Amino acid sequence: MVRSISSAKKVRTPASELFWRCCFTALLLCTCAIVLVPLFNLLALSLSEPSRVSEVRGLTVLPKGLSLVNYRVLMANPLFMRSILNSVYITLVGTALNLLVTSMAAFALTRPKLPFRRFFMVLIIIVMILEPALVTEYLVVKKIGLMNSLWAVILYKAVNVYYLIILMRYFEEIPPSLVEAAQVDGASNMTVLKNIVLPLAKPALATLGLFYGVFHWNEYFRASIYLTDPMKYPLQLILRQFVVLDDTASLIGSGTLFSYDEAARLSYSALQASTIVVAILPVLIVYPLILKYYARGVMEGGVKE
Amino acid sequence: MAALAKRKDWALLVLLAPALMYFLVYHLIPIAGMVMAFQDYRIVGKSPFVGLKHFKMLFASPAFVQVLVNTLIISFMKIVLFFPLPIAFALMLNEVRASVLRKFIQSTTYLPHFLSWVVIAGIWIAFLSPSGGGANQLRSIFGLPPRDYMTDKSAIRWVLFASETWRSLGWDSIIYLAALASINPSLYESADLDGAGTIQKMRFITLPELLPTMVTVFILNMGFFLNAGFDQIFNMMNDSVISVVDILDTYVYRIGLLNMQYSFSTAASLFKGLIGLVLILAAHQGSRKITGKGLW
Repeated sequence: MVRSISSAKKVRTPASELFWRCCFTALLLCTCAIVLVPLFNLLALSLSEPSRVSEVRGLTVLPKGLSLVNYRVLMANPLFMRSILNSVYITLVGTALNLLVTSMAAFALTRPKLPFRRFFMVLIIIVMILEPALVTEYLVVKKIGLMNSLWAVILYKAVNVYYLIILMRYFEEIPPSLVEAAQVDGASNMTVLKNIVLPLAKPALATLGLFYGVFHWNEYFRASIYLTDPMKYPLQLILRQFVVLDDTASLIGSGTLFSYDEAARLSYSALQASTIVVAILPVLIVYPLILKYYARGVMEGGVKE
Repeated sequence: MAALAKRKDWALLVLLAPALMYFLVYHLIPIAGMVMAFQDYRIVGKSPFVGLKHFKMLFASPAFVQVLVNTLIISFMKIVLFFPLPIAFALMLNEVRASVLRKFIQSTTYLPHFLSWVVIAGIWIAFLSPSGGGANQLRSIFGLPPRDYMTDKSAIRWVLFASETWRSLGWDSIIYLAALASINPSLYESADLDGAGTIQKMRFITLPELLPTMVTVFILNMGFFLNAGFDQIFNMMNDSVISVVDILDTYVYRIGLLNMQYSFSTAASLFKGLIGLVLILAAHQGSRKITGKGLW
């Protein structure tokens, strides 16, 4: 079986191998183009001069002229600006809460001294495999008075069981002697978690934080059923009304748009493109971090979702 | 000391409490509340039990049967037809040796996984637009008349398939890339000595080595067969195509929260939940038996 002879290591790459490599690379680069062209097309549309928007075709990737008027119009819209604030608030508070609650639970569940530990583990599996009906969840949220409150959206998926399990596996690998030494010194559970476990779990927390963060930023559905006041809507919901449902009145009805001289010449599709770009931007900003933490973790550990 | 080690630490429950509260409110109470599938739900007063009335209504409804068929077809496309694509992607990427190129391809194709379906729907609606979208610009290059894919019943399921592929192709290949990285290089070296070509090495070394990962992924995906992708369909459907893309989850939403037929919708959810439970448990057992790794 083992026939590897180091001296016989490939000195040259055969022509056929090179041929296939070129084919594969070309095909993969085509895939990249299919991902990128629609994105750059929207960026081009959003940045083009209003008078030249009609020149931007579906496969155009560079703006015709350069103008920020679409973004200025969006920024002048109170509903849009408010939705960005709401999204930022939901994302920051939600992610902080996610990390706090998930890490406290993961710590407790990985302690052998936890009472009813087996019972709680079964509970977690139940949560993982049984999905409550949408209607019953809705009625419970209504009953506890969270309707039209950002908290209904923030608390949804406060603990993602899959992430909880990933964090538990991570905590389990922390040497128990470190924890015991601190406990002999009289440290409380919270102190041990804060001063010993969490600092050691930083890469895992960063990964989960990024995933929770992207989840909150992208969430729109719970917001659509739990929030009734448009001034509480997150950006994704405004985006859905404006772009997916093509409901221009919701965004423009206030009349602020038409206070602009250029407004008469603005194209809805360019405005819609700008809204999409704004919604993608934060994801692009944290994307290098995601690649750094998660992609590496996956390559090493084989964790999926 | 041994006695001390065995003693339960009740203070740990304090740390667990917030998570338990969340599970209680967002999972356990709503799950218990699903008993209303057997009742006629009333907002005030007691809801009377009506047995299987809502389930009988459900199965007698042609709309529900169509929804079930749509769910199965769309899931089949997304799970079975899509299945080989990330594998092929990983195999091809594995042959790309230049690390800069490799990183570029990976970073580009993983990105759509992090975009919301609202954003992706917006991108695809623009791309497929009959007036000036990229797809129709391509068609015009080949002299074809413009086509409105989003409102075309015969095309929309393929739009779902294509946009799902656009979003997940790169990301879903990660698990295979990880498996590829762990293949013993000496296997390839000996194949090189035997004069095996690229395709032969793929067929006789790489694919068999990937088989356990493929089986795991496939089986675990089968556990979620009734999902079919609510967020995608919710954002990509419209009145012209609803009859062919309406799935269980969109149906449950519409009859439950829009038409406020609470008990009827919950019955549909319970039906989906029970079948889903069987599928997930089967997937878990199957995967554990074959590969030793289950869902938990």
